[in-house]
Amino acid sequence: MGNCLKSPNTDDISLLRGSDAGPEVSSEQSANMGPPPPYQESIPIYHPSPNVSRPANQLTEEEQIKIAQRLGLINHLPTGVFDGTSKKAKECCICMEEFLLGDMLRFLPCMHTYHKDCIDDWLMRSFICPSCLEPVDAALLTTYETS
Amino acid sequence: MAGLPRRILKETQRLMQEPVPGISAIPDDNNARYFHVVIKGPSESPYHSGLFELELFLPEEYPMSAPKVRFMTKIYHPNIDKLGRICLDILKDKWSPALQIRTVLLSIQALLSAPNPDDPLDNNVADLWKCNEQQAIETAKDWTRKYAMAKNNNIQ
Repeated sequence: MGNCLKSPNTDDISLLRGSDAGPEVSSEQSANMGPPPPYQESIPIYHPSPNVSRPANQLTEEEQIKIAQRLGLINHLPTGVFDGTSKKAKECCICMEEFLLGDMLRFLPCMHTYHKDCIDDWLMRSFICPSCLEPVDAALLTTYETS
Repeated sequence: MAGLPRRILKETQRLMQEPVPGISAIPDDNNARYFHVVIKGPSESPYHSGLFELELFLPEEYPMSAPKVRFMTKIYHPNIDKLGRICLDILKDKWSPALQIRTVLLSIQALLSAPNPDDPLDNNVADLWKCNEQQAIETAKDWTRKYAMAKNNNIQ
């Protein structure tokens, strides 16, 4: 506590690395550590619209907001683990693999079911159900946009 | 074939085991994402008894993004341009990962049966199609005879 100003050579990055040296590193030690590693080796790619791929640091503010909203909406959709009891859902039509016990699933409001990873990847590009082309909970989207 | 998604393998197997009538799609020996496609001109269309060669490529992102498909055989059609590019909504903004190579090729076959001059890719062709349909159909038949029948002997 209160030592932020004591050692100007140790910036936030050395704290983020969680080294066991603690925050009170002498200036000599930190000089030997070389430049800090970059935060991320690769920048995640987003799809502001289905045919557009752009690294996260090149998105417009509008696109960033849209993506943040989308992430929030996706997280509201129910998930579950395939337990073999569902008679209807047998195969994920995105990867064309049969559901296996223990697979993580996501359920859309139109009752179509997919692997969570498969459908989340798609929903970040287009917010419609791949099978019935229904907008995924259009009502929820409107309340988000107007509030 | 390392790194090829299971879905592509599955689709390829199914295409070989249960081919779509009037359509053949064979993966390239050197690239499992590239297919050599032949579509038979539907009967009762100006393309009847023509064999149209196409190329289909599954991009890295497939099935999150649509296959890229192009006519290699010259064809006179309002929704297909000189370079063989196809104006079809499911290949663009109406793509869904629930669609497959099979369904895409069926849609292209259907487009041959039902040209749509109101959503043209080639304006000259579309204009003729709208103002003199009979002549446009004659030209389409003529092109089919000229370009889609010559090489029939090496395709089944």
